[in-house]
Amino acid sequence: MQPLEGVRVVDCSHDLAGPHAGRLLADFGADVIRIEYARRMDVLRGGRKDDRFYDKHPRWLQVNRGKRSLTLDFHRPDDVAIFKGLVRVSDVVLDNSRPGVLDRHGLGWEVLRALKPDLVMVVAPAYGCTGPEAHYGGYGASIEALSGVETLTAYERGGRPRRVREVDITNGFVAACAVMTGLVWRQESGCGQLIEESQLEATIATLGGEHFLELVMSGTTTLPVGNRHPRFAPHGCYPCVGDDRWVTIAVRTDAEWTRLCGVIGRGDLAADPGLASPAGRAARHAALDASIAEWTRSRTPDEAMMALQAVGVPAGAVRDQAALATDPHLAARRWILEAEDGSGRYPGDPVRLSDGPARVHRRGPRLAEHQREIVCDLLARPEGDVRIPAEEEIATAYEME
Amino acid sequence: MNGALGHLTVLDLTHWLAGPYCTKLFAAYGATVIKVERPGTGDPVRSAGPFYEGREDRERSIPFLWLNTGKKSVTLDLKTAAGRELALALAERADVVVESFRPGVLDRLGLGWEALHARNPRCVLTSISSFGQTGPYRDWAATDMTLYALAGLMHCTGDPDRPPLRSGPAVAQYTGALGAYMGTLMALFARSRTGRGQHVDVSLHEAAIENIEIQMVDQLHLGRNVKRNGDNHVLFPWQLQPCKDGQAAVVGGPVRHWLAAAPMFEEPRLLQDPYRRMDGRMAHRGEVAELLAPWLMRHTRHEVYHEGQRRRLAFGYLASMDEALESPQLAARGFFEEIDHPVVGAQRYAGAPFRPQATPPRQTRAPLLGEHADEVLCELLGRSRAEVEAWRAEGVV
Repeated sequence: MQPLEGVRVVDCSHDLAGPHAGRLLADFGADVIRIEYARRMDVLRGGRKDDRFYDKHPRWLQVNRGKRSLTLDFHRPDDVAIFKGLVRVSDVVLDNSRPGVLDRHGLGWEVLRALKPDLVMVVAPAYGCTGPEAHYGGYGASIEALSGVETLTAYERGGRPRRVREVDITNGFVAACAVMTGLVWRQESGCGQLIEESQLEATIATLGGEHFLELVMSGTTTLPVGNRHPRFAPHGCYPCVGDDRWVTIAVRTDAEWTRLCGVIGRGDLAADPGLASPAGRAARHAALDASIAEWTRSRTPDEAMMALQAVGVPAGAVRDQAALATDPHLAARRWILEAEDGSGRYPGDPVRLSDGPARVHRRGPRLAEHQREIVCDLLARPEGDVRIPAEEEIATAYEME
Repeated sequence: MNGALGHLTVLDLTHWLAGPYCTKLFAAYGATVIKVERPGTGDPVRSAGPFYEGREDRERSIPFLWLNTGKKSVTLDLKTAAGRELALALAERADVVVESFRPGVLDRLGLGWEALHARNPRCVLTSISSFGQTGPYRDWAATDMTLYALAGLMHCTGDPDRPPLRSGPAVAQYTGALGAYMGTLMALFARSRTGRGQHVDVSLHEAAIENIEIQMVDQLHLGRNVKRNGDNHVLFPWQLQPCKDGQAAVVGGPVRHWLAAAPMFEEPRLLQDPYRRMDGRMAHRGEVAELLAPWLMRHTRHEVYHEGQRRRLAFGYLASMDEALESPQLAARGFFEEIDHPVVGAQRYAGAPFRPQATPPRQTRAPLLGEHADEVLCELLGRSRAEVEAWRAEGVV
């Protein structure tokens, strides 16, 4: 039995972070109902209407897999009533709009908790519900930059920062963590509550926290250091046979250094007393990089990785998506999941529960796919309340030819 | 009740980063977290630094101080029979055991899933490891870069004409830690129905792949294989661009607001074809960036940020960490909070990643090594002071 069977989630979120949280809950058995607005569909439904392309984008199918789709227009009183009816029979409401969006439709926290006293509601606006910039909008590209965390990743100190993969995802994880915290608290106390996630704060609290404390305590940060490491040397990314093929190699201890030298046939380096310590190796890092690259250049990433892992040196091939799809470890662990509706293969999940593993029940829903079963079967409303958006009503979030 | 998870006791057998971050979250939301550390040296991150005032000391490790807020520390030598028995006695009273040993080690210590489940069937065991408890890479060595590379993230970080770039922050560790926290709570949620705990297997490698779920599904469904692109988003504009005093985050979304907002750039051509449409802007990135540049270079980051936001666009700017630390938005919300510590004094720590309104998070300082041994062993387990002193003399505690 899956852990969240019997839990119903009303997913009012959009784009990536919020929907990613809903997807994790759906994978573990929750009935997640994605609320959509046909006049302005989700960005992940893409920019094309022809041939109902918005029902086919793999990214939509992935991030909203296992969910049901219900289109509502909160400008229509009937639709507001349907939403309220849905909240009455649900456990969780998830939202990542700017603060006040649901309130403007008369569907804020106070209204919803009156409908469902033990409701858990997680709101994840970019900057939180209070403060001078609460009403500002944010995407990963703005939040990561404003958080200061972006400055920790760069090819060299003082160089232009690069984005990491992917604060939208970690922020979505945080929202899923918030939902579970609320549900476990509800189990114990019988009470629901409102949980607020500022995505800016979540970025700092997860990826940035130790570095902010370093800044506070020492006035500086050790990072960025490119592909090197503050304590380990050598530590880098080395070219291999083929176009854009690389292997990463990390040496954490002097023993690993000796073993690396053995594998790459450089006993002379192992014997050099100047290289016997991390500090000594760090001082000559560029020269060591050249020596290591000389060895990797005639090998594939996997050959280099296997030879080094065989002696316990942390080496990892830089996998692209095609290589991940055939990775033997992931295959042995059956990480890639086959959707139960036959819609294809999907990336697996981040955790495995021995009694209730994750499943891909079905692909992300077609727009308004579950209108009738939610309105009539779940909410016991008359057939006349089932409103399927007409073609001319449907619009994408942006336009593409 | 203290916090949302105030009814839970977590036995924390983790060290380094991912495991301790997972249990740090449990502590922030109210659980009692008992961290077992090796006598004498403790969690190896205590020896790793950077250190407060640069002085190497087990109570001055900055990552330790960050990763272990709110926990109790008990020193136990799990290589001794007495130490293992005390750990099992603690596990008997725990709702959750979280561990991050190399796969197989917990079993060898006699504290594995079978032993634990026999002693406390309601207990959830969460095992965090680099590659999970099974599979050909199970016993491989890894740093965060190894995982960032093998999970496909590094291929997508950096510039197309330069080597893949590792993330500064330990993305794989933190993603896995969040997955471990989430999965553990799911197992606890299920327990109320079944009465039984279960074993949660967290592979940091697999958890990290979540970060490229979109690229991965494009591969599985379309055979597409994309690489790093210097942070060029598929939509445009949607990236950092130079302005008068640094880099502005020119994020042209929500896209529906772009046309109404674009006059801010004082460049009429932006309102004409092909640039007025998103697909036109995507097809002519260089030209659009040039049209944006003159106005951007006349304005500061703050001016760009607030003017864009005034026009409903989700603009931002590249903030240094010093600037983020003094952000008026974060200050108004009291996000960074001062926590006192007997060795390093009062310092400002980042707050919790989310805030349950009825049960606010609470952060207290990290423990000194073995600080709570007497409290935990005597008060919780009911052992006598004399027993604890004897164990201490033998090096068990």
